[in-house]
Amino acid sequence: MNNRSRLVPYLYVAPLVLLLAFVFGYPLVRIFEFSFKMVRGINGPWIGLRNYELVLTQDVFWESVLHNVQLLLAIPAMVVISLLVSVLLYDRIAGWKLYRIIVFVPFVLAIPIIAVVMKRIFQFNGPVNEILRWLSLDFLALDWIGSSDVALWTVMILIIWRESALGIILFLARLLSLDEALIEAAKLEGANWWQRVRYIILPQMRGVIEFYSVVSVITILAAVFAYVFIMGGGRGGPGTSTMVVELYIFNALIRTSLPGIASAASVMLFLVSVALIFPLFRARRRANADEA
Amino acid sequence: MVDKKDWDLSRRELMKLGIMLGAGSALGGMLPGMARAQDKTLDMWWWGEQELPGLQKFVDSSIAGYKEAAVKGMLQDTAVVISQFQTAAAAGNAPDIQFLWNGIYHMESVWLGYLQPLNGLVKEDVITASSPTLLSNFGGKTYRMGWYPLPMIWIYNKDLYDKAGLDADKAPQTWDEFLANCEKLKSAGIAPVGGGIQDGYWGEWYFGHALGQNVDSAGEVIGLFTGERDFRDPKYHEHWVKLEELKKAGFLNDEMSSTELYPGIDLIVSGKVASGLSVGARVPADSKTMKGRIGIMPMPVYGKGKLAGKPIFDSQGLGIPAKAKDPQGAAAFLEYLNSPERLKAFHEATGWIPANTGFDMSVITDPVVLDMWQRWGLAPNIPYLSNLVPGQFYEQALLPTAQQVVEGKITGEQAGELAYKVAKEWREFNPDIVENYKKWATDLGG
Repeated sequence: MNNRSRLVPYLYVAPLVLLLAFVFGYPLVRIFEFSFKMVRGINGPWIGLRNYELVLTQDVFWESVLHNVQLLLAIPAMVVISLLVSVLLYDRIAGWKLYRIIVFVPFVLAIPIIAVVMKRIFQFNGPVNEILRWLSLDFLALDWIGSSDVALWTVMILIIWRESALGIILFLARLLSLDEALIEAAKLEGANWWQRVRYIILPQMRGVIEFYSVVSVITILAAVFAYVFIMGGGRGGPGTSTMVVELYIFNALIRTSLPGIASAASVMLFLVSVALIFPLFRARRRANADEA
Repeated sequence: MVDKKDWDLSRRELMKLGIMLGAGSALGGMLPGMARAQDKTLDMWWWGEQELPGLQKFVDSSIAGYKEAAVKGMLQDTAVVISQFQTAAAAGNAPDIQFLWNGIYHMESVWLGYLQPLNGLVKEDVITASSPTLLSNFGGKTYRMGWYPLPMIWIYNKDLYDKAGLDADKAPQTWDEFLANCEKLKSAGIAPVGGGIQDGYWGEWYFGHALGQNVDSAGEVIGLFTGERDFRDPKYHEHWVKLEELKKAGFLNDEMSSTELYPGIDLIVSGKVASGLSVGARVPADSKTMKGRIGIMPMPVYGKGKLAGKPIFDSQGLGIPAKAKDPQGAAAFLEYLNSPERLKAFHEATGWIPANTGFDMSVITDPVVLDMWQRWGLAPNIPYLSNLVPGQFYEQALLPTAQQVVEGKITGEQAGELAYKVAKEWREFNPDIVENYKKWATDLGG
């Protein structure tokens, strides 16, 4: 192959690469640049690392980080629920095809829609508490979205409910590709349901579980804005109890006219997300290898 | 079905048509007046349909009826009203007329050089009559005209006052009278006061009402942000202490923390809560729903500041960007919007009152609305102090503190400490804006 023909494939992909570089690369470069400037309007003077210093010394930023970290606790619950439901569906319980559709519905619905509905449901005098009071369980009738101590956990419930749907579908797809002969053999050997799950199914699903876990970590660190925006009254409230890093960035950019601060926080969030992409790729490779 | 033959033109017919069109265009070009005036174009970016249904109808009819220029209106999304304008202004693509919220919400654009003063462009008497309020002034110039008013009020449900054995026609004047009423309402099984604070805005309204109890001027408030005064001083956080007292006495409605602002006001209108904060634009509809059994009052007085007990008046407004391509044309359109005919059209389209003090009040039929407009719009009033609050303070102190006091998480004193800390942070984040704030204080009587 001569030099010219070696170049041809690159020329074919060049327009798309340039387009991607413009769409994603240019804003990224500008965000890095803004993070070192005191931006007013659309530009401003260079101030070095001052924006980073201000962000990192602000309590509300660290509260936001802490809330993101707390929300990570949802992931084990999401994995367990997804596994349990997908295995039950895999066992083809009566009506499993219908259930499969039902459990995926939350993931199809837009987050703002389900968050608005959930917000109504979880109001202090809303349906959840009305039912609890009717059952004489008044002590459980909490101020789900109005209490600083409870609101983040309510958001977490919503995240678990919706994001588990993706896990169920991913896990079910993997289960349906398993060699059924192995499971049948285990049954013939007298393995009970738990033993089949523990020793036959789970080892073969390790890759997809890792993949789902890493995707979920990235989701919770960088894509829960819609949940907290709706459930936290658009402010990360009550107080700052549901404030997360994305909302911190949004507030800095849109509500407090501090693009430099928003950029500095964005750069830090971006770097953390990039660091997590490598385990994601590794998990993806492992999942592919398992399926092969 | 259209017969294709109907659309076929011979070459001769096509030439005839061309000559006629050409002659028509030439004739149009020679005609002075209306046709030429329409060559002028104005861009108007506006907001308000979101809070005042019918405003779109008014804007459309105003544009359609204006003969001096072709006005192109664009309704802005709430989230981008400021950022969209500032970005466009920075790029030199600002509209000719821009919607402006009051106080700091447009003052930052003034400081960035994106707005020009209206003095000299719009007639002084028109500016004054439009109720721009004190907060539109900087450096002795006015940068915004009032468009429609937002009297900030406390309301109470007269039926619930009757039910509790209170004199519904006598609004409480002092805080002690108010607390005594609350006690009676509570004894009658009625939630005495509250609304909804889940989205935070109730905290803003409360601050706007209550901070004035212990201050003498709007300029004095500026000092709380520039560092000359301190939220830890009891007189500057007493309002949060009073809120804490309401909470501890069990006077706030139990669903307040999980209810949003407007559904919270609905609780008063529907007879589930006796009193709380509201805004004048809601009064025509709420008075109708309550069959006139709605009481309107300023916040009962506990403080000793000169602003205590005064009616609070805010207005939404319009201004002219510094790089408007036709500032004179924009000014003429603003004057047109304040003409008697347009003021009447505003009322017909929205059911609400325009901010202009020259508005013919004879069209207001509801005595509750008329009384409110006379007391809040036409009598001496004070500006809405929450409009002085920097955005960072608003997000990180103003809204969170009230929410946390209402849920019983922090005390009023702790709210003052948090407010002090956030005001200090704001100065560190915005050293350039602090100086402008200090200059602004001189316009506000600081």
